[in-house]
Amino acid sequence: MNFRDLLRVVWSNLNRMRGRAIMTALGVVIGTAAIVVLIALASGLQESATGDATAFGPVNQITLLPGAFFRAFGAPSGGDESVLTPDIIKEIGRREGVTAITPKEQVAAPTTIKLNRLVGSGTLTGIDPLVVRDMGLEVERGADILGNWTVIVGAKVGESFVDPRERSGTQVQRNGSEEPLDLLGQTLSVSITKLGDDGKPITRTVRLRVGGVLEETGSDDYAIYMALADAEDLTSWYSGQRPDRRNDGYSQAVVVVDDTQQLLPIQRELEDDGFFAFSAQSTLQQINILFAVIQAVFGGIGAIALLVAAIGIANTMIMSILERTREIGLMKAVGATNRDVMSIFIAEAGAIGFFGGIAGVLFGIGAAKVIDVIAQAYINAQLASSGSTSSDPISIAIIPIWLPIFAIVFSLIIGLASGIYPALRAVQLDPVNALKYE
Amino acid sequence: MAPDTLIRIQGIKRHFILGDSVVKALDGVDLDIEQGEMMCLMGPSGSGKSTLMNLLGGLDTPDEGTIVVGGRDISALDENELALYRRQMVGFVFQSFNLIPTMTALENVSFPLIFSGTAPAERKARGEELLDMVGLADRMDHKPTELSGGQQQRVAMARALANDPQILLGDEPTGNLDSKTGVEVMEMLRKLNEQGQTIVLVTHDPRVSQYTTRSIHMLDGRIIEEELAPL
Ligand SMILES: Nc1ncnc2c1ncn2[C@@H]1O[C@H](COP(=O)(O)OP(=O)(O)OP(=O)(O)O)[C@@H](O)[C@H]1O
Ligand SMILES: [Mg+2]
Repeated sequence: MNFRDLLRVVWSNLNRMRGRAIMTALGVVIGTAAIVVLIALASGLQESATGDATAFGPVNQITLLPGAFFRAFGAPSGGDESVLTPDIIKEIGRREGVTAITPKEQVAAPTTIKLNRLVGSGTLTGIDPLVVRDMGLEVERGADILGNWTVIVGAKVGESFVDPRERSGTQVQRNGSEEPLDLLGQTLSVSITKLGDDGKPITRTVRLRVGGVLEETGSDDYAIYMALADAEDLTSWYSGQRPDRRNDGYSQAVVVVDDTQQLLPIQRELEDDGFFAFSAQSTLQQINILFAVIQAVFGGIGAIALLVAAIGIANTMIMSILERTREIGLMKAVGATNRDVMSIFIAEAGAIGFFGGIAGVLFGIGAAKVIDVIAQAYINAQLASSGSTSSDPISIAIIPIWLPIFAIVFSLIIGLASGIYPALRAVQLDPVNALKYE
Repeated sequence: MAPDTLIRIQGIKRHFILGDSVVKALDGVDLDIEQGEMMCLMGPSGSGKSTLMNLLGGLDTPDEGTIVVGGRDISALDENELALYRRQMVGFVFQSFNLIPTMTALENVSFPLIFSGTAPAERKARGEELLDMVGLADRMDHKPTELSGGQQQRVAMARALANDPQILLGDEPTGNLDSKTGVEVMEMLRKLNEQGQTIVLVTHDPRVSQYTTRSIHMLDGRIIEEELAPL
């Protein structure tokens, strides 16, 4: 029997038990639709969590913390050498695939940042002036040069300046216009106050010239980058001694890699060296793993529904084989091989799964769209009531292209599999008895 | 073996074990069937006629003995080979017709051709030709329930001939028919036999045996008498 005749026979057999076939297929429809909707929801969640990958920081950088930080969280010791001393930093900088590395030290002192009578805020961060370009710090305006108390400020540092005499929180509008404060070319005064040996407060004030303003990145918009030496100068003055970087190391370093594809292996290697390392890529990877698990769990729920449907298919097929016992005997008498009989019944069960799967996918896509529209309306109403407007429409349910194909193939396989046992029973019927069966 | 021997049955035994009793359905049967003959098996109920018929048709295999058909021992075939044997060599006509109720007469007749891989157009042509031959050209699209018993059995005969079998087997083909339609069916079988078709029938009905060239009488799984039809 060739494949086209098989399909013809199967089609006419299903047609004659149409009502029962449809009822049985409904189980598959529900299972498949559940899989589609649940996985679409999981994909939608994943997309809204990870859609804007740049928000996690530059994709070519790894932030390194010494292993002691790692151990502070109770993790097993990563080795005692995992201190970010200048020598070790140099060594890492020479490694294969590493473009640049810089210590990253925040000024460890309470500071006041002023511009004339305005008070602002920003994280004073010292980095190696030589790696500014390698770190991908893109200046929107000005120059990307650090050193000698010249700094580069993040895109939103300007917005932080307020007039303390006005109502708190009132943002300063320069000359009453809508333009935010432009810090480029301005000189900020940074004061640090400490108690002197005699118990009296002493204050040191330095002037920082803003040589550049960074593009908005979402990750370092409130940073004030300065030369590492300048930052160390402020920290040393405040603590009264130079930090012993040769022994104690820096508190943080940023590694820039040549090839983003090679970032994770390099990160892994650094972790093996005992450092605490994290990167936008590894964070995304972990989130993606989490969502893969969610998808698998959701898909599993649908798969259980399909399993129940499979039992339904098997049951229907067994019933139908009982009713068609004589017909099976006749098929054998006119020369159908066991393979022919087997194919017919497995294909009938498979067809129930397949058509159920198609209907389930259509139904599931429809349901996902409805959920999406309702959720969208709900989110917009929430946003409207909180006064903000939505920037991009967020999709709650996303149907990846593989999903319908996977769902249909899966229901087909479920159908075929549930036909195996009934088909075996059909094959094992003795034709003599089957032909006498009442 | 005589030149015209189509089937040679030797030392056939078929025992059924039911609990601790053994039913010797066939208990040593030897029989030759000639090419082109029309013979019938007769005997009381339970004498083993149907059992012998099923062995001839390759629906069952003997416990002992050989059945050589056209030079090949079918008692040694596996299930797959038996299916091919039934497809190529045998046509069955049953007492209860065994038509598929949801199929039309034409579909029933061409049904066996699906398994022999005949193309759809050819299946239809062959089915029409056979239905025409059994005088049902105007009933092609009728379902079995829309046909009389005699018509249903003629459809079944057409179906049995679909694969052009060497042997036509009929287990009480007139058993469910009244005597008038029974005669119609027997006339048709005789016509087929005149065209060279080898036919083996099982019957209780002495009138059926009048149409055959040879009658074999069975009792308790053995052949007890063989009579040639008076010519
Ligand atoms: N599958 C089986 N299992 C057990 N016993 C069987 C089986 N088939 C046949 N028999 C027994 O074998 C014997 C011969 O049966 P068979 O059907 O060949 O008789 P028959 O001559 O065709 O009778 P009838 O004229 O009533 O059809 C009977 O006693 C029957 O009960
Ligand atoms: Mg019988």
